[in-house]
Amino acid sequence: MKKTLLSLVLVLATGLLFAQKKTTTSATINFDATTSLDALPKAENKTVIASLNTRTGKVAFEAAIKSFTFSNPKIQEHFNNKGWMDSDQFATASYTGNISNVKDVKFNKDGTYYATVTGNLTIHGVTKPADAKATITVSGKSIKTTADFTIKLEDYGVKGGAIAAGKVAKEPKITVTAVF
Amino acid sequence: MLTTKINRRYKKWLIALFVLLLASGAVIWWLFTLKYDDTKDIKADFTVNAIDFIKEFRQDMTAANKKYSEKIIVVNGTVSVIEPADTTVNIKMIDTANNSAYIIFAFQQQHLNEAKQLKEGEQVSIKGSCSNGAFSNILETEYITFKRCAVNK
Repeated sequence: MKKTLLSLVLVLATGLLFAQKKTTTSATINFDATTSLDALPKAENKTVIASLNTRTGKVAFEAAIKSFTFSNPKIQEHFNNKGWMDSDQFATASYTGNISNVKDVKFNKDGTYYATVTGNLTIHGVTKPADAKATITVSGKSIKTTADFTIKLEDYGVKGGAIAAGKVAKEPKITVTAVF
Repeated sequence: MLTTKINRRYKKWLIALFVLLLASGAVIWWLFTLKYDDTKDIKADFTVNAIDFIKEFRQDMTAANKKYSEKIIVVNGTVSVIEPADTTVNIKMIDTANNSAYIIFAFQQQHLNEAKQLKEGEQVSIKGSCSNGAFSNILETEYITFKRCAVNK
């Protein structure tokens, strides 16, 4: 009897633990490196894997570089080339971080919450600290998170003539949206 | 006499320069306005079965990426999940027998409604550009992503 009860408690506890880790495989990342000289370096990736632990505030995402879609095939080709993202060698970008003020976010109560996320971003094989301001909207069982940040391409070893010529922004804006 | 000769030569150079400028402008305009063709109208490089395709990636990710990345592929399989993605949906085909490895399809703008009309459990044929396959540390499984997809009928 005791053993059955213990097993039941364990199963329930494991279930609760996993319920706190929410995942999606359809998060989106918008990448905007447009400048006054060129409106084309702008892309979207709709198949990003993201996770959110509502108990610990741990967040993460992984994005396949080749899944970024540009409207112009030539720009997409340049983006994936060796001189830029070198997506054959560095196939994914990833982020792991924590919501600093997770206690202020009531994941079981409808509302809009503002959070700060601190963590590390890996692009082009280079990992650097990256913080972001995030908006978390809780509506029923749905949790929508949106985070904005800018990165310095140079910090991640992404250089090129187009950046130097001002056709690609040195500090593109990145917006990550995930619905859990 | 000499002035006329110089004028003729000058005129020739001017015309050549004008033609060169016009051609350069046309090339730049073509490059800037270039768009992707409708995936539906592009001939597929491969036609595969979803489960076999996932298996091929699980067996040798590097070789499979070399073979399929950026190729137009028709994938036949069952819709496992219709997942909301921003204002639209993505379609997933999951290999439940193998660690829930999956293929995910993001649709081309003009084919978004086709994706929304699909039903879970439905047999479907999807044509799209294979981005690549990778291992997810978050989900601890393999996944393959597709972009610019259309329902292949």
